[in-house]
Amino acid sequence: MPQHPFLFSGHWYRVDLVTVAWTLIAGLILIIVSAVVVRKLDMRSPRGLQNWLEWAIEFTQKMSRDMMPSAAGARFVLPFAFITMAYLFVANWLGLIFTWEFEPGSDIPSLGLKAHVKYSLLNSPTENMNMALALAILVWLVSHAYGLRHPLKWLKQYRNPMAIIDEITNPLTHGMRLFGNILAGEVLIEALLRMPMLFGWVPTGLPLLIIWLLYSAFVSTIQAYIFALLLTLYVGHKDFNVDHH
Amino acid sequence: MTIVEPGTMIVSLVAFLIVFFIIYKVSYKPLSNMMEQRRQHIENEITTAEQGRAEAERILAEQRKLLEEARRTANEIMETARARAEKQAQDIVEAAQAEAARLLEEGRQLIERERAEALNEVLEQVAALSVELTTKLLRNHVSEPVHEEMLKEAQKNLGELVS
Repeated sequence: MPQHPFLFSGHWYRVDLVTVAWTLIAGLILIIVSAVVVRKLDMRSPRGLQNWLEWAIEFTQKMSRDMMPSAAGARFVLPFAFITMAYLFVANWLGLIFTWEFEPGSDIPSLGLKAHVKYSLLNSPTENMNMALALAILVWLVSHAYGLRHPLKWLKQYRNPMAIIDEITNPLTHGMRLFGNILAGEVLIEALLRMPMLFGWVPTGLPLLIIWLLYSAFVSTIQAYIFALLLTLYVGHKDFNVDHH
Repeated sequence: MTIVEPGTMIVSLVAFLIVFFIIYKVSYKPLSNMMEQRRQHIENEITTAEQGRAEAERILAEQRKLLEEARRTANEIMETARARAEKQAQDIVEAAQAEAARLLEEGRQLIERERAEALNEVLEQVAALSVELTTKLLRNHVSEPVHEEMLKEAQKNLGELVS
């Protein structure tokens, strides 16, 4: 696992600075790109990135219509699913583009840094289990908040006690799946980069690295999609509106 | 050191929420509004196009009907005009024939009258000449009884001629 600098290191409430920073940077990238698209929004002849964004929205729209039991629920979940998917796509790709290592040289106790330890300053935020779990918990909270619009029906779903187990395993697997896939990709990239060179100059790891990068890119994209898909599914489980569309 | 870090969890969740709401406000809302607007626009356009087509079809049918009517009227007018022209021609021919017949009749009557007049004149002359001739002849040869008989015959002949 890559080492990260922490705020309040040593305390139980320590904060992983790299994760938080790249959470914000991934968002910033998405905000800037989409703001540029929105500024040149054209209803009649969409161009370039606007097509991509529209395609993504329509894709999410179709997905949420398929997964949600009611039209109102589909409308509710669409922005959540779309923004989360777009965000995760950017965030998952971040760690693949380049790595950035840092060796302090001397101890920096306020950030918990020790000299002569290599710290990774660039990782996908989703590579951190806590961030991924936080997203899953957010989905869990949103789904229950939505379900509690119909409290009686919400209560009725627990006539089968197995549903309570679902409430624990669903967010857990939801977050872990994302975290595990991304972490595996980045850890292996790091390992391949550290592979010793043959005779000191033949990069034996390079072909493997390229294959693994392509595969990780695929996995990153798929995981963003799967996370959004499960998000609509979980919110859909708590959608007790009755208008079947 | 535990793996679960509530601090990281909460801070990254807050960061994500901030990013989420900025994206929602800055990008998602205008984009989805635009798409909704476009959807409505296209719907309107389709409705308008359908209405326009129905209207065009209606007008076309109307035009066709009008054209048909106009053609029929034109035919009727032509037919009437032809009938009238034929009748007129016939009238003219008839009138001409009648005029010709009248002229012929008049000419014939004139000839007849002239002939009658001429005949009358000749008769008068013949009567006068025969009277004169008879008078000349009778002075020499006729006795009283013969004279009378001849007068009677002459009267009878004249009567025949005059009647």
